[in-house]
Amino acid sequence: MKLGNHLRKYRFDHDEITQQDLANAVGVTRLTIHSIEKGKFNPSALLALKLVRFFKVRFEDIFYLVEERTNE
Amino acid sequence: MKKPEKLLRSVSVVLGLASTAFFVIDYFIFTRLRPKMVNFEAVSPAEEELMNWVGIGLLSFLAFCLLSLFQTAKFLKNARKITLFSLFLIVSGVLSLLFILGDVALLSDIGKQYKHGLAQPEWLVLYPVMAFQFSTAIIFTYLHFFGFSKEKQVKHIARDNNIFLVVQYVGVICGLLGLTSSSLRFLFPGATQQVHIVMSLITLLMPYALAVGYWLITKLQEEHRQWYDEKQIQDIGKSAFLTLFLSVILMGVVFIINYNNLSGVVSLLWFPLYLFSVLLFFSLGNLYLTGKD
Repeated sequence: MKLGNHLRKYRFDHDEITQQDLANAVGVTRLTIHSIEKGKFNPSALLALKLVRFFKVRFEDIFYLVEERTNE
Repeated sequence: MKKPEKLLRSVSVVLGLASTAFFVIDYFIFTRLRPKMVNFEAVSPAEEELMNWVGIGLLSFLAFCLLSLFQTAKFLKNARKITLFSLFLIVSGVLSLLFILGDVALLSDIGKQYKHGLAQPEWLVLYPVMAFQFSTAIIFTYLHFFGFSKEKQVKHIARDNNIFLVVQYVGVICGLLGLTSSSLRFLFPGATQQVHIVMSLITLLMPYALAVGYWLITKLQEEHRQWYDEKQIQDIGKSAFLTLFLSVILMGVVFIINYNNLSGVVSLLWFPLYLFSVLLFFSLGNLYLTGKD
């Protein structure tokens, strides 16, 4: 299972805030936000909660589980 | 522009113009001295004194290089991203800095060989090296004079990534040069001396130490736990593992190849090989993992 997210969508809905501004708000580098959006990096619980709090939404609104297909 | 910044820029422009002028003067000095030295003709004391100007020129270029690299790092701190041109600036700045020590070594060899009546093939290396430094001086002087482009800058960056990347790029350059120069010494075991190895270690590590020093200064205002963000910590951990794995393999190969002659030149070279390979693998690993995502 993988952790998916709607971070990019929320960023655009939130006055098209830039990756850098979001990174500044939650105290990480821009590349970390970029990697989370691309699904290449799973944020820690702390960072995920900071992101959720920034957008004032519930955890499940931004993050969701993705079932990975297995070859049966 | 703040007053210290203005002063720094003015000093850089003056040093840049002086360095550029000195390279032109050096060219004329060498054009006058080279035919005499190559043909072992007598060089007058006045002509010998001309070499002092070459030394002053190199000192001014050394100060200019250090200031330019500092200004570039300062500019990159708030840059939106590290462009190819920024990379070119870092690489040419670091190489020019290293080449200053090369110039000194070449000129000293030329002087010694002339006094001993030996040929001086070093002239052939000196000209292209100085031409490269001359072009670097022109580019940086232009940038100091007209200012680095502020268009692609971000006003505020809470957590830096660019200086971290600059340190990795400098690590790759120093690691690659160090590994190459150490490996080449295996071809000339008779000419390898402890003092040369120590000198090249200090010289080639200097730009990396300067970059790390600058990065440390920028980090001193932050709490130690906040020096890296969580992805950087993950990337550093992965590249540390990669470095351990690759350096063990490399040193294993070096050990096996030299198994029958472990007291030979390898007894002098194992440390530089290990140090520069670790620097190269670790910096490359960090760059790859940061760029990969």
